[in-house]
Amino acid sequence: MLQVNDISYEVQGKALLTEVTAAIRPGALTALMGSNGAGKSTLLKLISGTLQPSAGRITWQGKAMRDWDQRELARTRSVLRQQYSVQLPFTAFDIIAMGRYPHFRSKLTEQCHNVIAKVAAYAGVEHFLNRNYLTLSGGEQQRVQLARVLAQVWDTPSDQKLVLLDEPVSALDIQYQHQLLSLVKGLTQAHFTVIAVLHDLNLAMQYADDVLLLKQGRTVCFAPKEEALDTKHIYETFGVKAALHQAEDYPHSFITVCPVHQQYQQLQW
Amino acid sequence: MTVLLIAALVWSTGAGALSISPAQIFSILCHKAGWHTGIPFTEQQENVLWIIRLPRVLMSLLIGSTLSICGGAMQGLYRNPMADPSLIGISSSGATAAVIMIVLGSKLFAGFQSMLGQYSLNLATFAGALLASVLVYRLSRQQGKTNVGIMLLAGVALNAIAGAITGFVTFLANDQQLRSVTFWMMGSLGGATWVNVAGILPFCAASIIGLPLMAKALNAFSLGESDAAYLGIRTERMKTIVMLLCAMGVGASVAVAGIIGFVGLVVPHIVRMAVGPEHRRLLIAAALCGGMLLVLADLMSRTIAPPVEIPIGIISALGGGPFFLYLLLKEKKRNALL
Repeated sequence: MLQVNDISYEVQGKALLTEVTAAIRPGALTALMGSNGAGKSTLLKLISGTLQPSAGRITWQGKAMRDWDQRELARTRSVLRQQYSVQLPFTAFDIIAMGRYPHFRSKLTEQCHNVIAKVAAYAGVEHFLNRNYLTLSGGEQQRVQLARVLAQVWDTPSDQKLVLLDEPVSALDIQYQHQLLSLVKGLTQAHFTVIAVLHDLNLAMQYADDVLLLKQGRTVCFAPKEEALDTKHIYETFGVKAALHQAEDYPHSFITVCPVHQQYQQLQW
Repeated sequence: MTVLLIAALVWSTGAGALSISPAQIFSILCHKAGWHTGIPFTEQQENVLWIIRLPRVLMSLLIGSTLSICGGAMQGLYRNPMADPSLIGISSSGATAAVIMIVLGSKLFAGFQSMLGQYSLNLATFAGALLASVLVYRLSRQQGKTNVGIMLLAGVALNAIAGAITGFVTFLANDQQLRSVTFWMMGSLGGATWVNVAGILPFCAASIIGLPLMAKALNAFSLGESDAAYLGIRTERMKTIVMLLCAMGVGASVAVAGIIGFVGLVVPHIVRMAVGPEHRRLLIAAALCGGMLLVLADLMSRTIAPPVEIPIGIISALGGGPFFLYLLLKEKKRNALL
């Protein structure tokens, strides 16, 4: 259980986050959304333990983030970033094996090999484990990185697995975006707690369970997605007018944004 | 690899102005250990082997291994395959510190120098090398990444500054000191003695043993600094240790052999093509391969035009310079594709 309790964060007198509170549901995918500079990435860094809040506290499994030992923490929470600039010709296997670093001293254990095989299969990268990472396509690279991030916490007891994703799909094309997010969504069934910074309203609507909307470091709304992503909250957060639509055989609403939506109205009326 | 290394060692020990066969080498070593094999050898051969050849070959081995392993580790730390102790000015800063020590040291801290002997030189080069590595590292960091351009340019600047200081200090030197200074500028293994070997052994051993222990951290570092931290690695501590060990190793080799360039660049590269970038394998293989390479290069420098000895620095630069250009070309092509 991850508890974000009334945290503020400021750098050189400038407040980046102000009194943010959220009880993140275990086993759910929570999307962090907001305009550029709203504090999403900062919040994720605070949750990951990289930064310490100026006020308030974040607890993970009942223990304050600042009290966690780095190595202990690494076995229960992992982080996927938007893009990696690896320069050396590691194989995909080497990269995934790095996810096991908190679990062994000098040699991969048998358990490590098991986990690597499982996460590779889950992420669909088992066919190119021996390929040079640098020669893979962007989508393949990101799936290898996802496998690494999963390997880090895969065999941690359920409900103690925290995966943080900082704009995981922003550098990917549409097919890979959905591929990656479906994989991530599947994790929540295995009781992973997932927090992802997302930009696309419809991706959030499709894949998230809860949505936390931020504007200038303050919470606009933290609620289940259908409740959070309504026209009022979207306008408040992003300053754009949006419309929600329902379609047949589609499990949730989809969202169109201002110019398109207005033109659409003019055509109608 | 190990077999090749031993073969190179034996060959290099035997070859030279006075040749000694492998059997005789074996016999002399056994004789020293108080055990007679019955293979005949002359007293002259024994002296040449024991006083000149052996310390020299061992020193080449130590320095080759140390420079290569430090080069490999620095490439990991900078997350870039272009890092090399001599290119980014660490060797030359160490050499400048040594020159200052030789010329001014005797005046400023006479007691200090005689007390520590060889170690005071080691200490000076270590300090110089450490200062340079911290400086270049700080300069070349940009938003958590290494800016290769700045790194190389910082190296150019440091090399120039170190050269200027060295040049200035030589004006203050007397004849005998001047000769020592010239020796540092060239890079040579000619001054090898058992005292030298013993002097650098602890420092070289520290980096050769210590750096492979950092392999996991160096691997994780290639993802990015923050990602290494997410994997539970204490990055600040790791950076300090790697820089200390590299400065120690490079400093020690500069203290006895002057600047031998490009070994730390070329060897890890070749080894990486053979065993891959995983740092544990890479560093150990680089140490073996680098030792072998320098032993052979030294053999070449001794035997190519006897009785003249070509400074090893010239040979390593002749081989390494073009290789560096080739790497630049490769890097240029790769960046054009991105």
